[in-house]
Amino acid sequence: MQDISELRKDQLDALRELGNIGSGNACTALAQFLNRKIDMDVPRAKILPLNEMSSLIGGPEEMVIGIFLKVMGHISGRFLLLIPETTGVRLMQTLIPGCTVMTASAMNDLEISCMREVGNILAGAFLNALSVLTRTPMLNSLPSMAFDMAGALIDSVIADMAAVSDHVLMIETSFIESNENLKIHIFLMPDPNSLGQLLDQLGVK
Amino acid sequence: MPEIYPVGMAEMRIARDPDVLAAYGIGSCVIVAMYDPKTKIGGVAHIMLPDSTGISQERLNPRKFADTAVPLLFQTLAHAGCFKTSLIAKIVGGAEMFPPNEDFTNNIGTMNTKAAIKALGKLSIPIAAQDIGGRSGRSLEMKLDSGRINLTVLGESVKEL
Repeated sequence: MQDISELRKDQLDALRELGNIGSGNACTALAQFLNRKIDMDVPRAKILPLNEMSSLIGGPEEMVIGIFLKVMGHISGRFLLLIPETTGVRLMQTLIPGCTVMTASAMNDLEISCMREVGNILAGAFLNALSVLTRTPMLNSLPSMAFDMAGALIDSVIADMAAVSDHVLMIETSFIESNENLKIHIFLMPDPNSLGQLLDQLGVK
Repeated sequence: MPEIYPVGMAEMRIARDPDVLAAYGIGSCVIVAMYDPKTKIGGVAHIMLPDSTGISQERLNPRKFADTAVPLLFQTLAHAGCFKTSLIAKIVGGAEMFPPNEDFTNNIGTMNTKAAIKALGKLSIPIAAQDIGGRSGRSLEMKLDSGRINLTVLGESVKEL
């Protein structure tokens, strides 16, 4: 297989379109779940050196909520949501009646479970759209959540994808709810071994 | 003024007194720091994975794997004039950031620290201090005037190693 850093422009365009369709579906799901209007950034398909990923969300020491899911099926990969603390608190207050949590480190079991469910819904909606588009079933694992430094969350997600390449391919977008300043970053990273098949399904092998 | 040199994932760097080597936002990665108190030269390897076995030579970044990065750091320091017999090592990191569940187990951090300890053992470099495992991210700065490491963990006061 070619190295990730050698992907062509038409291949990246196809992956971005994939991101567009997946994010669109996830955005609709989030809007329905929260019962409010959510806007979506134009998705990007990027090839990044390992160390630049955390710079996308404020540097390696930026404290964020991370929700991690594995993508399973013929095409496998990683799905990571990075959510600023203010957004996380806002989401919990919206979704849990009477919730008064103010910081991510003070979250109780119910609140953690609620955040994981947000991850579950977004990943499920995203991957559903991709399954239809690529005619390949893709499922997400149970979500796992942590609140810590962005760099630390990212390195544990990308470590074993980085064995052969010093670059990571990611499809990235963010959701914004302007009035309340909700911001959610979504990263989808296909496993290097699945990339060929994914490009094949998209007709840009 | 001492310079601070950050060492990112899969990178390695050496420096000397009075400069500072740093690594920020360490999760499952493991940092192997070596220091020679006689020459006040030290180095840091920011290791992502335990074992390079099976990776073809032309694609291998030796700074990424414990089994290759540790000997490389050792050789680089020896080449820079460090005394092999006075080198000491400190290791930091190897956390499991995301709680495991039925669908995935998460043990890359543990594998990384085990591999780093093994590689240091092969070179007979003593481990003077360590802060490994757990569920929290870490940041560190190693001051090369003394080899001391200041370690930051979320919700804890700065520790010295």
